[in-house]
Amino acid sequence: MSMTQTSSATAPGTKCWSCGKIADGHFCAACGKIQPLPRGTSYFAFFALPEKLQIDPEALEQQFHKLSWKLHPDNFMRADEFERNLSLERSSELNDAYRALRDPLTRVEYLLAHKGMRKEGAAKQQAPPELLEEVFELNESLDELREARAAGEDLAALRASLESAEQDFQEKLAGVDAELDQVRTEWDAAIEANATESDLSKVMARMNEILNRRSYIRNLVVSVAKELADA
Amino acid sequence: MGKIVGIDLGTTYSLVAYMDATTNEPKCIVGPYGSALCPSIVSVDADGTIVTGEAARRRLLTQSERTIYSVKRLMGRAPEDIKDELKIFPFRIEPTSTNVIRVRLGEKVFTPSEISAFILRELKSWAENFFGEPVDRAVITVPAYFNDAQRQATKDAGRIAGLEVLRLVNEPTAAALAYGLHKQKRGKVAVYDFGGGTFDISILKLISTDEGDIYQVLSTNGDTHLGGDDIDNALLVLARAEIQKQFSLDLSAHPETVQELRKALIRAKHDLSSATKASIQVALPAGLIYSREISLREFDELIRPIVARTMEPVRKALADAKLAAKDMDEVVLVGGSTRIPLVRKTVGDYFGRPPHCELNPDEVVALGAAVQADILDSGVKTMLLLDVTPLSLGIETMGGVVAKIIPRNSTIPASAQEMFTTGVENQTAIDLHVLQGERELAKDCRSLARFQLKVPPGPAGLARVEVKFLIDANGILQVAARDLRTGQEHSIEVQPSYGLNDAEVERMLEESIEFAEQDFSERQLIEARNEADTILKATERTLQREDLSQLSREERSNIDESVANLRAAVAGTDYKEVRAQIDKLNEATTHLAELVMNGALQTALQGKRLDEV
Repeated sequence: MSMTQTSSATAPGTKCWSCGKIADGHFCAACGKIQPLPRGTSYFAFFALPEKLQIDPEALEQQFHKLSWKLHPDNFMRADEFERNLSLERSSELNDAYRALRDPLTRVEYLLAHKGMRKEGAAKQQAPPELLEEVFELNESLDELREARAAGEDLAALRASLESAEQDFQEKLAGVDAELDQVRTEWDAAIEANATESDLSKVMARMNEILNRRSYIRNLVVSVAKELADA
Repeated sequence: MGKIVGIDLGTTYSLVAYMDATTNEPKCIVGPYGSALCPSIVSVDADGTIVTGEAARRRLLTQSERTIYSVKRLMGRAPEDIKDELKIFPFRIEPTSTNVIRVRLGEKVFTPSEISAFILRELKSWAENFFGEPVDRAVITVPAYFNDAQRQATKDAGRIAGLEVLRLVNEPTAAALAYGLHKQKRGKVAVYDFGGGTFDISILKLISTDEGDIYQVLSTNGDTHLGGDDIDNALLVLARAEIQKQFSLDLSAHPETVQELRKALIRAKHDLSSATKASIQVALPAGLIYSREISLREFDELIRPIVARTMEPVRKALADAKLAAKDMDEVVLVGGSTRIPLVRKTVGDYFGRPPHCELNPDEVVALGAAVQADILDSGVKTMLLLDVTPLSLGIETMGGVVAKIIPRNSTIPASAQEMFTTGVENQTAIDLHVLQGERELAKDCRSLARFQLKVPPGPAGLARVEVKFLIDANGILQVAARDLRTGQEHSIEVQPSYGLNDAEVERMLEESIEFAEQDFSERQLIEARNEADTILKATERTLQREDLSQLSREERSNIDESVANLRAAVAGTDYKEVRAQIDKLNEATTHLAELVMNGALQTALQGKRLDEV
């Protein structure tokens, strides 16, 4: 993956507010004035990146520093209010974009949200069908642990079973992450191959399902860890 | 446009610094008492005169009821959340129905922002005397862990003091800037900033790029109510208990003695930074004397719990930066409390390396502020600070749960957009509650503001209002809303939950200017009257005692007339008129003075020029 210097962080064909020439970057190529951020600009576009999920973190960080240097409000202290606001808008967008893209997981979440494909809803609270039985058992063990703790009983045996359950779910989490890696690669290949909207939607639906499953398992792991720490 | 300065508005001391154009290095400005440290103390005279800094500190012992210290602890806080503070600080808080604290000083009542503004005015006058030019803009530092309300209160203080606050910079970041400049260091740096009333830890990455150096804060954590004050108070609790036990004496009724005791304990604390024992001796009422020695070991045990409290934020900051203690290339100590041996040892042990403390820990924050001020003023950028917001921003949702929309440690400026709609038919307003903090429930977070989005009546769910929350480079929240159906921008009346609204700040600014001008002319009048008094007495004495044969009749009548005119001017209130008449009398008595000087007359004025008497 490469990162080009030319930016498409403004819609093509947009005219510079100051000199009227075509300006499609963060700054007008003709007069150098900072440009307003068009609504709906994606974080990928802001960094002049294709909408792929595999990003070289070092190149991204370098680009982040480069753009920070140019867009930060420090540079616009002597400019008028209009330009100061543009700087505030663009530099906050830069920081938001970097925050979302630098982490591989939030990067997927952002892509889906941007495409209107992130559907959490009830799924977040609902156990994935294949996990129902294990989750049921885990919840029982957690209840037992709490009762035993309240009654001041020996927790050693329960602890051991919970620890093994935690281990089990940790492995499942790793499995889900591997699935996510797989689907990321598929997504990037689909973008590369100019896949149809419907094919892309299918990949995104799968990513969404994996994310929901991941967040469910992750919550379980966290709550078990917390109970164990309290016990 | 006037000059620009960097100001460290501290809990115990405040400093003002500037960029020296010839050496291109930041420097602190030394005040009239020969020190760059201005005690953050304000006192109000019986006649309403405001006394600040060193002069106010002297009054802490004589007029403690009219004098306040550590006001920074009250900045941006509400009356109900300073109960713990009141147990250990002698703040006299006025009962109020609003969410803004008001402090009584003698006959007057002030907000913490106004009191801080008096300190800022003092520093402003130091700088103006130094430059011989007006100072109207400043970069002011705040603890990194300050929330929105505390930052806003600091910005308000600047405005009330007649300063345009170009930027609020986090104290550890400012210190890193001064440090990085000094050492030309790159890599990962932990700044441990333990001051008079606040504790901050910031993890930074210092990067060289083709354009220049970037100081990127990766994470920050802290406690805005943990500092050297707490150590002083621990000593005070111990000493008061001992006095109670030894003499059956309760110092509650003796606030001046408590301040005397506090001063002696602080001195002992300072001594223990370089000695293994210190002695304390304080005169108590009724001729009693409290006297004891404290060893470093005893001191260490007393403050160990306080020092331990700083380490939890350190662990959290490292965890948020996804780094371990051993990953740090440097550890920098900032703030007066880092002179304490136990603090140095604790930090050194934790990071497994001796911390840096070669820069003056009192000055380094102000120096960093001066560097940033110079960058903003000159427009010549040699380096860039990328700071973060210390606390997550959230909005209250159903059931009092907080939905986080900007996570803590996000680089600022940062923003988030949320869509809101109506829940019932013909609803005309949507209520929003914005909070800051890490807890799940709204009641456990810090309320920043509540406001209403006005929407046209219609079926439920039809209205679509997009709200943009933006944390600016100062760490202060801005809110804007847009009706997506009409494309209209909403103006939102954001009523801060804690703090002053614009009109209040404006009024305080006006009052303080009036105050300052009124103070100025009153002081001028008093000085002119004193001078007139001296010259009138000297003239009369000379006229009565001396042989005036050498004065012409015209000269004599001229003198009499000038004396009468000056007396009339002194009876009035115009200091300029008094000055003018003083000059005229001086002129009229020139020959008389010469005769005195020449020894032609035997007089008490011998050896002095008349206008020097």
